[in-house]
Amino acid sequence: MDKQTEDDRRNTANKSKPPQPAFRNRKTKLVLVGTPNVGKSVIFNLITGTYVTVSNYPGTTVEVSRGAAKLDRQMYEVIDTPGMYSLFPITEEERVTRTLLLQEKPDVVMHVVDAKNIERMLPLTLQLLEAGLPVILAVNMMDEAKKIGRSIDLDALSQALGIPVAGTAAALNRGMEQLKRMVAQYVRKRVA
Amino acid sequence: MSGSGSPERFALRYDETIEKSLESIEKLLKARYTFSKRMIALLLLQQDEEIMKMVKLREREFPRIFAVIQNTRSQYKDPLRYVITLQTHQKSKEILAGVVKDSDKKKRLHSVLDRLTIQPLTGIPILLLVLYFGLYKFVGQFGAGTLVDLIEGKLFEAYINPWVNQVVGNLIPWPALQTLLAFDYGVVTLGLRYAVAIILPIVGTFFLAFSLLEDSGYLPRLALLVDRLFKKIGLSGRAVIPMALGFGCDTMATLVSRTLETNRERVIATLLLALAIPCSAQLGVVLGLLSAKPLALAIWSGFIILLFLLVGYLAAKLMPGKKPSFYMELPPLRMPKLSNILEKTLSRMQWYFIEIVPFFILASVLIWAGKITGAFDAVIQATTPLMGALGLPSKAAEIFLFGFFRRDYGAAGLYDLQKSGVLTGVQMLVAAVTLTIFVPCIAQFAIMVKERGWKTALAIACFIFPFAFFCGYILNQALALLGLTF
Repeated sequence: MDKQTEDDRRNTANKSKPPQPAFRNRKTKLVLVGTPNVGKSVIFNLITGTYVTVSNYPGTTVEVSRGAAKLDRQMYEVIDTPGMYSLFPITEEERVTRTLLLQEKPDVVMHVVDAKNIERMLPLTLQLLEAGLPVILAVNMMDEAKKIGRSIDLDALSQALGIPVAGTAAALNRGMEQLKRMVAQYVRKRVA
Repeated sequence: MSGSGSPERFALRYDETIEKSLESIEKLLKARYTFSKRMIALLLLQQDEEIMKMVKLREREFPRIFAVIQNTRSQYKDPLRYVITLQTHQKSKEILAGVVKDSDKKKRLHSVLDRLTIQPLTGIPILLLVLYFGLYKFVGQFGAGTLVDLIEGKLFEAYINPWVNQVVGNLIPWPALQTLLAFDYGVVTLGLRYAVAIILPIVGTFFLAFSLLEDSGYLPRLALLVDRLFKKIGLSGRAVIPMALGFGCDTMATLVSRTLETNRERVIATLLLALAIPCSAQLGVVLGLLSAKPLALAIWSGFIILLFLLVGYLAAKLMPGKKPSFYMELPPLRMPKLSNILEKTLSRMQWYFIEIVPFFILASVLIWAGKITGAFDAVIQATTPLMGALGLPSKAAEIFLFGFFRRDYGAAGLYDLQKSGVLTGVQMLVAAVTLTIFVPCIAQFAIMVKERGWKTALAIACFIFPFAFFCGYILNQALALLGLTF
C-alpha cells in the first residue's frame, strides 16, 4: 500500500517537471530534404554562409554538405541532403538521405519544394509527417510560380498540414528572413 | 498536446484493408525506431529491403509480421507500393485543391518551347546547333584554340619552360633528376604545363558551356529527346547528363554516372564513356588534326557514333537485369543567372584541379621512370608489329603508350607527329580513331575502379585494349579496300 502511493507520488512529480531542453547544450540539427532542382542548396548556402564541409556519407560515394548557422542565438548544424523523391528509396542518393534521417535524429526537417511542381512534391511532405519527423515546409520558387500564373495560399496549406509553411524565392534571396524566423520559432516551441 | 492555436498535424488515412494491417503490424513492433511505427509498417508493406532486414533483426515476432504483409499483399492485384503511392498522391491532390490556383497565362509560350526542344523534328536541329556553337565553336575553337595558344605558346613555351629548364639545369647536377623535373617529360614542363596550359582552358570552357545548358533547363529536355534511342542501348534519358559531361571530362562523367538508377545502367554508361566518348582534350586535338580534311572528320565521327550505338546495343542485350525506367522532373526553361553559372564552373574546375592534377604529376613521374629504365623502349619495340598491322609507323606506339597515362598526351603526341609530317591522311584517321577508342586515361581508370569495383573496371579495360586495335585494323583495311586517301 505504501509502496503504491510512493510510486504515484513519483509519477506525479515527474509529470509536473517540465521536459528537459536537452538540445540546448548541443547544436540544433536542421536537415534540408527535397527532390533535385528545387533550390535546396541555394537555401542551404543562404542559411549557413561560408563554413561548409562536403564529405562522402560513411560507406557511400554520395556527398553530404554540412554547415553551421546561428539563428536567434541558437547554434545550428545544417545538413544538405542528396535529392530524394520519396521515403521509399530507389537511388543511392535517396538511400543515403533516408539513412541520414534515421540516424541523425534531426530537430527540424525542412522539406524544400518547388512551388510550380508542388503537386508532385507534397506526397513526400505527407510521408515525412507520417514518419513522425519534425517537418516544416519551404515552398520555394514562388516568383517562378507567379510568373506562370499560379498562386498558393500558404496559410491554408499550413492549416491543412498542421505544420509551419513559408514561401521563398531563394535564388533572389526573397523570404529568407521569414524562413529563418520560422525555424527559430519552431525550435523554441518544441523546447518549451 | 498541440500548442495553443497550432492545428493538429495532418494524418493520412489509407483504405480499410491497409489501415487494418498497419494497425496489426504496429502492435507487433516492439523495438524503438527513429521513424514512427506506422511509417516502419508502411515501408514493410511496400517491401523495403533495408527496413525488412532491420526489423527482422530486432523483432522476435517477425514471422507474424511477415504473415500480415503476405496476407495484405494477396488482397491486391497491384503491388502494394503502387497502391499506397496512389492513395498518397490522391490525398495530396485533395489538400492542394483548395490551396493552389492556376491561371492560363504564359503557359502557352512554355509549352511551345517545350515541344520545340523535345520533338525530334525540331529538337535534333536545335541539338546540332547547341553542339556546333557550344562544343565546336566555343570549346573547340575558342578554348582549345585561342586560349591554349595564348597560355601554352605565349606563356609556357616562351617564358616558363625555358626558365625552369635553365634553373633546373644550373641547380641540379644529376641528369636523372633533371629530367624528372624539367625538359621534355618533366613534372613541371610536361605535367604541369599540360594541366594548366592545355587542359585548364579546354575543360574550363566546357564546364562553362555545360553549366549554362544545365541552368537553362535544356538538359532534361535533351534527356527526353534521346530517351527512346538510349533505351535501345540499355540506358535511359537520364544518362544524357553523364554522357554529355563526358565530352568535357570522362573521369568526372564516370563519377557522375552514379546518379543512374540501376547498377546495369551504371556499368553500361561506364563502358561507353571509356570506349566511345572522347573527352574535351581529345576532341580538341582530333578536331584540330582532322578539320583540314572534312571527309576524314566525317568518317571519324561516323565511326565513333556507330560504335557507341553498336556496343551499347550489344551490352544491353548481353547484360542481365531490368530495363531502366525513366522519370525526370522537367524544370521550366529559364534565363540562367551569370553568378550561378560562374560559381558552378569554378567549383567544377576546382574539383578538377584537386582530383585530376595529381594524376598528371603521377603520369609524368611514370613516364620518366619508364624512360629511365628502358621499359618504354621495350614496349615500343614489342608493339611495332601491331602498329604495322594498323599501317602506322612504329613511332605511333609511343603515342598509344602515353595515351594510357593521359588520353590527351596521346592525342597531343599525335599532333606532334602530324606537324613533323610523318603521317599520311589515312594513317592519321586510323590513329585518331584507335586512340579515341583506346584506353581511358589513368585517372578515369582509377575512378572506374573506385566507383564500379576492380572486377568491372578490369573487365572493361581488357575488352577495350584489344578492341581499339581491332577497330583500327578494320578501318585501315576498309580504307585500303575502298582506295580512299585524304
